[in-house]
Amino acid sequence: MTEQELARDLGFLEAYTIGLGTMIGAGIFVLPSIAAEQAGPASMISFFAGGLVSLLAAISLSELATGMPKAGGSYYYVNRALGPFFGSIVGWGMWAGLTFASAFYMIGFGQYLLPGLGQYVGFLSGWGDIGITVAALVMAALLTGVNYYGVKETGALQNVIVLTLVGLIVAFLGIGIIDGPTIGEFNPNGWPAVAATIGTVYVTFIGFEVIATSAEEIKNPSRNLPLAMIAAVVTPTLMYVGVMFVSTGTLSIEVLANSQIPVADVATEFMGSIGALAMIVGAVLATVSSANASILSAARVNFAMGRDKILINWLNEVHDRFRTPYRAIAATGIITLVLIAIGVGIGTLAEVASFMYLVTYALVHVAVIVLRRANPEAYDPAFRIPSVLYPIVPILGFIACIAILLQMNIVVQAIGGVIVVFGVIWYLVYARDRALSQSLVGEAIAPGPTKVTDGQGRYRVVVPVANPETERDLLRMAAASAHAHDSETAEVIAVNIIEVPQQTSLEQDLTFEEARVERQQELLDFARDIADELDVGLRTRAIVGRNAGSAILDVIEEEDADHVLLGWKGKRSRREHVLGSTIDPVIGRASCDATLVKLGPEDGRGEGDIMILAGEGPHAPVAARRATEFAEAADQDTSLTLFNVQEPGDDDEGASPLERGEELIEEFVERAGLEAGQYESRIEVTEDIDGTILDAASEYDTICVGATRTGAVSQAVFGSLPETIGEQTDGTVVMARGPEESAMSIRQAIVRRLES
Amino acid sequence: MFTHVLVPVASPEDAEATMRAVRPYLESVGGNVTVINVVEKAGGAPDKASVEQREEYAHEIFDSARGVFEDSNITVTTDIRYGTDVAETIIETAHDIDASAIVFTPRGGSRWVRLLTGDVALSLVSESDLPVITLPNND
Repeated sequence: MTEQELARDLGFLEAYTIGLGTMIGAGIFVLPSIAAEQAGPASMISFFAGGLVSLLAAISLSELATGMPKAGGSYYYVNRALGPFFGSIVGWGMWAGLTFASAFYMIGFGQYLLPGLGQYVGFLSGWGDIGITVAALVMAALLTGVNYYGVKETGALQNVIVLTLVGLIVAFLGIGIIDGPTIGEFNPNGWPAVAATIGTVYVTFIGFEVIATSAEEIKNPSRNLPLAMIAAVVTPTLMYVGVMFVSTGTLSIEVLANSQIPVADVATEFMGSIGALAMIVGAVLATVSSANASILSAARVNFAMGRDKILINWLNEVHDRFRTPYRAIAATGIITLVLIAIGVGIGTLAEVASFMYLVTYALVHVAVIVLRRANPEAYDPAFRIPSVLYPIVPILGFIACIAILLQMNIVVQAIGGVIVVFGVIWYLVYARDRALSQSLVGEAIAPGPTKVTDGQGRYRVVVPVANPETERDLLRMAAASAHAHDSETAEVIAVNIIEVPQQTSLEQDLTFEEARVERQQELLDFARDIADELDVGLRTRAIVGRNAGSAILDVIEEEDADHVLLGWKGKRSRREHVLGSTIDPVIGRASCDATLVKLGPEDGRGEGDIMILAGEGPHAPVAARRATEFAEAADQDTSLTLFNVQEPGDDDEGASPLERGEELIEEFVERAGLEAGQYESRIEVTEDIDGTILDAASEYDTICVGATRTGAVSQAVFGSLPETIGEQTDGTVVMARGPEESAMSIRQAIVRRLES
Repeated sequence: MFTHVLVPVASPEDAEATMRAVRPYLESVGGNVTVINVVEKAGGAPDKASVEQREEYAHEIFDSARGVFEDSNITVTTDIRYGTDVAETIIETAHDIDASAIVFTPRGGSRWVRLLTGDVALSLVSESDLPVITLPNND
């Protein structure tokens, strides 16, 4: 099965238009009256400053987007870099920000439609504020419906709208400036008012991120992506500054402040009613297209959160017929309708949206620094912030975002604060035990490379046991790993966890469940017997807890374990988890070596003919180490085969597939520290790599394969190839990963820093 | 006609129904089947669902398609394709893989829904230069 790559078909111009389409939106048609009221003509400076802050964010986002082109944008980067605590805050923050922005756009739409078009179309006039709210509600419902039912929209329509808007604004600026605007008192309310206004108008700058979410489709992303982002920020910034200049220079501040359709009222002065009508039509188009983009972006944030298990995946169901994430779209639509209906006020809506995005971008800047310092293997951005600008850009950007946040209206700060606190509570109550990802902050603080070493010199293998039938083999394999180290001090720790549901208290449940406790004791007694036979030091831990995954992780940390070995039934779960509710978090977060074993038929469990997949993956040598440990401890004859697959045809340097394979195996032997004569090698040449590996796997008793994906920056636990082999091969399959990829806690990192 | 058919599918239910319908025909001639799901791109406008979400959904669809052929020795090949025009992408894919025919089952739906979301079946039938076979949906 080959998977067609998503064609990279967006050039600079297309990416730029996409960004511009969301940037030249509703804000500029609605905000001039609010901005002029707050800061007079000096609000030009506010727009300019907002543009600069966005420019810094665009530079940081360009690096992150080319490093991790994934749906969910800023949320995704922050969650990967700073972990689910901040992920939860930013996820909810962006979602709230987008719904507040949609409500803001829709009320702007109502204002331009009724009092605006009402000047020309009789029945639209005279409906007052109720009318505006109703129009906003109807349009919001309609847009939600359009996206729910997946009504086809085309790029061509989008381009027409963008071109129309650019044309209108350029005409407005051109004719307005020729008309000779006269600015009165430039800064009537003082600089603090100008600073506060940055927060108000920032909502006009939240669109450019859409380019980041298309990163995978952009041609030559190292050049085109940052350029398109920067251009999509600079162009509208200049336009906004111009619009404020013309507006405040044409109408008095009082008239402007009281206008619901400021751009049209200004246009009337020098373009007549035809010009005003054109502006109204433009504003209607702009508000609708901006709200449309916001609703769809919100659904993407939901999707990305669901994928990271920070949010219930139920929301992300794709509709069978419409092929839209209909629940996420409906939820966003409903909250937008509620926000419109309760009458928060158009200014407050805009400011809360700005607030949430400033929080987001502040954390995006932190994420860049953390990722650069932690430097996980999978992070290899095509565009890196040039060294003259790093780390100035993220630091300055962070400070600027925080400074604006502090300047904002207290009511807005309160609402924004509530949303942030909600994110925190959500993390504590829901996401903490479920989230797949982990923070890389520890990695960033720690000095230099941070391979986990055993401080006490005692090699410890943690083995969760739950099933008497598999217990013996798991312990035997763990003992093999322990024996490979100094066997005097190495030990195996067998753990069993009784899971108790959330509703019942731990003690209460246990008294009713004596049978379970008894079973736990039996399992662990049995483990001791096995350990005696195997001649390995064993300790047992009997634990009662809410969640087996976190209990195991706790044991790993308490014991300072070097290796955790788990059994797996061999079936991937469909939705909520990748490999299983306990396996996912343990493999995903354990700070030590982690091994997952699917047991095949007896007499071949880590024995007999062992195949090692010798590939280029970072963890393949770990799999080889496991294989040699098993082979050394096995009672019966074992053989080790290094298996490698190459595609037919000579490469650029003229090496034949066999030569390439041999070279790779040689390198592999060195990386894995194998000795000559210990192994055989086998190279196959084929078009169908995955199929050949699966076929070959069925000839061996045990297959050892290293993780192909890294836990820190992706969701798969081991990678799709190891998981497929595990699922489809009848023999024993050992999936292994080393400690490099797992992140350490901030506390560990600081300790390490202090020690060094 | 059934030596190598292309089956475009849109949902797990659709995949199951179509694969069930096509199975006896394939078995009678020992044919192959390629199942594709087309991810519709808006070509510049924002897509309704993110591409990654659609890809995840496509894998769900393929699982359900393979499920029907689990106990059969006919190979099921799967592929995700991307395009702004679903019918056109299907026809292009059919040529790419030298398919002998394109096979689907009707999915019903009111005239309104088809008007709003596009009628892929109609475009397939009217635009294809390869045989297009509609099999009855027996569920």
